[in-house]
Amino acid sequence: MSYPTDSALVVDDTGTAERLASGVVGLGLVTFVFSLLGLTQIVTEETAILGVGLYDFLAVGLLLMGVATVGLGVGSRVGVFNTTPDATPGAVTAALFGLGGFVVAGLLASQLLGFGTLGWLAVASLIGGVTFVGVALAPEDIGSTLPPGLAAIVVGLLIVGGILTPAFAWEPEGFSATLTGSMAIPLALSVTSLVTMWAGAKAYEGYGSTGRQTAAYLLVGINAVAIIAVLVGLLLFIASKGVGPAFQGFSLVPFEWPFVTNGYSFRPEVINGVFPAIVGTIWLVIGAVITGVPIAVAAAVFLTEYAEQGRFVGAVEIATNGLWSTPSVVYGLFGYAFLVPRLGGSTSLLTGMLVLGFMLLPLCLITSREAIKAVPDEYRDASAALGVSQWETIKSVVLPAAMPGILTGVILGVGRIAGETAPILLVMAGGLRDDAPNVLGSFEFTSAPPFVANDALLQSAPALPYQLYATITAGVSAENATEFGWATAFILLLVVLSFYAIGIFSRLYFRRRLNS
Amino acid sequence: MTDLSSFDTRQRLRRLVETDREVASLFAVATVCLVATFALFLLNSTVTVVPLAGFLAATGYGWYAHQAETARALTFLATVSTILVLGLITVYVFLEALPVFQRMGIRLFGFTEPIELFGVTLIPSVDSYWSTSQHTYSLIPMIWGTFVTTLLATAIAAPLGIAAALFLAEIAPPLVRETVKPGVEILAGIPSIVYGYLGFVVLNQFFYQNLEMANLGSLFLVGLVIGLMALPTVVSVADDALTSVPDAMRDGAIAMGLTEWQTMKSITLPAALSGVSAAVLLGIGRAVGETMAATVILGHTQRLPDPLQDVFDNTETLTSLIASQYGNADGLHMNALFTAGVVLFVTVMILSIAARRIELRMNRKLGGEL
Repeated sequence: MSYPTDSALVVDDTGTAERLASGVVGLGLVTFVFSLLGLTQIVTEETAILGVGLYDFLAVGLLLMGVATVGLGVGSRVGVFNTTPDATPGAVTAALFGLGGFVVAGLLASQLLGFGTLGWLAVASLIGGVTFVGVALAPEDIGSTLPPGLAAIVVGLLIVGGILTPAFAWEPEGFSATLTGSMAIPLALSVTSLVTMWAGAKAYEGYGSTGRQTAAYLLVGINAVAIIAVLVGLLLFIASKGVGPAFQGFSLVPFEWPFVTNGYSFRPEVINGVFPAIVGTIWLVIGAVITGVPIAVAAAVFLTEYAEQGRFVGAVEIATNGLWSTPSVVYGLFGYAFLVPRLGGSTSLLTGMLVLGFMLLPLCLITSREAIKAVPDEYRDASAALGVSQWETIKSVVLPAAMPGILTGVILGVGRIAGETAPILLVMAGGLRDDAPNVLGSFEFTSAPPFVANDALLQSAPALPYQLYATITAGVSAENATEFGWATAFILLLVVLSFYAIGIFSRLYFRRRLNS
Repeated sequence: MTDLSSFDTRQRLRRLVETDREVASLFAVATVCLVATFALFLLNSTVTVVPLAGFLAATGYGWYAHQAETARALTFLATVSTILVLGLITVYVFLEALPVFQRMGIRLFGFTEPIELFGVTLIPSVDSYWSTSQHTYSLIPMIWGTFVTTLLATAIAAPLGIAAALFLAEIAPPLVRETVKPGVEILAGIPSIVYGYLGFVVLNQFFYQNLEMANLGSLFLVGLVIGLMALPTVVSVADDALTSVPDAMRDGAIAMGLTEWQTMKSITLPAALSGVSAAVLLGIGRAVGETMAATVILGHTQRLPDPLQDVFDNTETLTSLIASQYGNADGLHMNALFTAGVVLFVTVMILSIAARRIELRMNRKLGGEL
């Protein structure tokens, strides 16, 4: 299948250096993952691997990594390994290593050796400076492997030698927290393993620009995977806590889901639920959509179809961006100062709807404008060529074509406001209740102006995010308050994230259809 | 046809009169009704409903008889109302804050010791930072709290977020990108109260035990949680900025023999710098205005941490001050909470305008429509 010379070349390529370097990276990944788990105390030093305590086990690995990394650097310099290093590792690497040296030396001198400010500054500057100059002047293979390798060896020895133990405690001066060994060890392990991995990845490619690229890709990749892992882990954690209490007493036939269909009755024998809060949230969303969306779409139509770019449009753009970024709690204050006194004088569902509608306005305006802009001009021209008036064109050509984009924006905006708590806090409130707000059934005609009254609209109503907050502040008297909170958080996440998922996937779908 | 884009009202009205007297009179009636509705609503009158009904009737008839003109006028009205809403927010939040501004003056930003420069007292001292019984209100602890949490959150979200965006936009294979990007956008939707609940129930205890802290809740934890919360937003917006860099720029660099990483460092990132910094500014704006996580996690003490750099101590942020005290506030105390709102509002407006400026500059620099 292959020529003999090829295989000889391949054997030559995956030589000792590559194997050593990939070993360093592999060990580093394992160390990094376990030290992150250790940082969250999911695993602790008692977790034994092959009869050895976890941290000792990892420290031995780190020690090996350090030795191998130093070996890779020295081997490359004396010519044992076939590499193509640059003249220097570069100023950025040197500066970062110098900074690392400065911090470590400064901490050691000030905290462990008890030097004064001048003393530790001098020691730290000396060590940092020497590291910086040394790395900057050294050839790339030595400069980028020796410091991480030595750091890994030192940290490994400290842990294996029992100097850095879980009993270790460091109380930094001026901070009311203590860095205990159970946090310090995984922290030191994760940082050193990251840096050593970087050096190993560089050595794997034989240094030079390809080496730097591989090393950088490794770190950037680890970062991306770690972010996703943390966020998804967070979701799974909430789900694992919330699914149990949320599905208590759940049955499919006959359909029963007490947590979703019951109110909060304060009776121990009945399962407490969030039905009123779900209904309240639905009414809030409906009210906000009625208030915000028509204005947003109409303004988007005016800005794209009628108006010319000018001062007025510029002012509207500034206003829209300002509204978009106004903190939700400021909307709440506004509602409290402006709407509450004018609409019944107390916090109510109606003010909640209006304030959330004002919040929805900029979100929908921006997305609707983009959607209308994306409608190709050919559509408008074709319609105009048939003698159709501008308004008829907008109504029967532009708006239908832009509708998917507008709807997507509305869905995403609704997802955002459905989870908002801060404005509701100020303008609606509403705690744990047994009965859902009955908005449709509460309309009444009165003889005095304003001739229409609706008690349900003018009273507080419960809503999912506020209910979660109420669980925290009121400290619901029942003993399973925490479980109730987790279940509420789970349902809230389910509602909000499904809005987001529907919005984002429909956007992807329509974008793809538009491009094809 | 009239041109509504020029918003000179008199000119517009004159043209309307020339074209169609009925439409003009209809618009006049509707405008009068709307202005009356607004004025009566501002005055908190119960007869607001009368002119509102008049406006609805006028527009209803207009829609039936002169749909095109009515539609154009209504869309114009909607556009004006966005400016109006922002104006109302500004006016009412400022108005409510005014009594405390007048009472405290510059001491609203006062320390417990006078701030002097060359023997001239710039800011007189306050007896205590936040005393509702003496009505002494200084926002300094809250501003410090917001500053520290925002700084911590940015230190987490900006570098990690940009690196992750670089991975998504430049390094990841298309399949990974197409699955992860929507996922990140969905994660950006996790409501802040959920993060707050997690912080309150789990993280507060965890930090208390493992860092042997003196108190539950700390600025450090709030910064950490807000940073995590802002991450998906920063990733998503920075990714958009990076992907909008034209491929031709990258191809040129690759053709010169640069590696992909060198291209990213010296071509793509600098070209997308404006967009990426707009993403970071957006993230900062989010962090400044973030309310629930801070409210739930912090221990609510309106004093500066002692010593100042102790991020593991409790204090208050501008947002959590409002959310934790509105319930038992009235009179001057409530007005004082509005001053916190004013500081927040002004800060975020400045950030928003800066982000917009940077974004416009990027559009110009890349010379194309985005």
